Amino acid sequence: MTDGEIRELCETFFDAYQDRRLDILDRVLADDCIIWHNVFGRDTTKADNLAGFADSYRGQRRRTYDDRIVDTFHDGFVIRYQLRGVQSSGHTGSLWICIVGRVRDGRITRIDEYMDSSKFYQWAGIEEGAT
Amino acid sequence: MGTIDTEHRALCHALFDAIEREDLDGMRRCYAPDMTLWFNVTGEEVSGEDTVAAQVEGRALLRRRTYDDRIISTFDDGWVVQYTLTIVHHDGTRRSLWACAVAQVHDGLIVRLDEYLDASRFLPAGSAT
Repeated sequence: MTDGEIRELCETFFDAYQDRRLDILDRVLADDCIIWHNVFGRDTTKADNLAGFADSYRGQRRRTYDDRIVDTFHDGFVIRYQLRGVQSSGHTGSLWICIVGRVRDGRITRIDEYMDSSKFYQWAGIEEGAT
Repeated sequence: MGTIDTEHRALCHALFDAIEREDLDGMRRCYAPDMTLWFNVTGEEVSGEDTVAAQVEGRALLRRRTYDDRIISTFDDGWVVQYTLTIVHHDGTRRSLWACAVAQVHDGLIVRLDEYLDASRFLPAGSAT
């Protein structure tokens, strides 16, 4: 894939997350895609993530992936961005996140996500320890 | 891609090897004079010399730190490295976390480093964040 194709794939993925377009997420994630997160340290599947998508938005009015800085390499990309969330309560918060993606044949085959979970409660505007 | 790719990889290893060995001059050799490091935990930028000073201060807290399982991907003007950071305190307590760092490189030196990690993994179990 070319630099342009990889960038477009990356932007399409984040736009789909932002716009809650499960059909596009299904298209851009390879069927055997693995999603790994530095907070939990375990692999999850594409099916896990699509099935849990609605729950991940619970209590949130809007989520945007802003200030994206994308760099590409021969088989993937690294993106740095701010995840801005507006909760149903109106609370807004922002998290800095970095994702390293691997790509093959026009689809994403692996996502490694890095963030600081100690900022999550502040981001969500909820009491520490609450769920 | 070969030469730049190789040079970027060598620079990345040189920096993390220098930090592991507490080789302060080795760290400085990797940095451009106006280098800045940004950290997702604080959201602040610090200078290269600030990172060197932090390394010295860290000796009071840590016996050893290692940057293991490095996965490096390079692009024209930099690299990203994913790694496992393991720290050993003076009492022998060991903790690990997964982190990544994105570097911008000019003329063979690091001009900016953005580091992302989960700070809560360095807290003792059950402690407040």
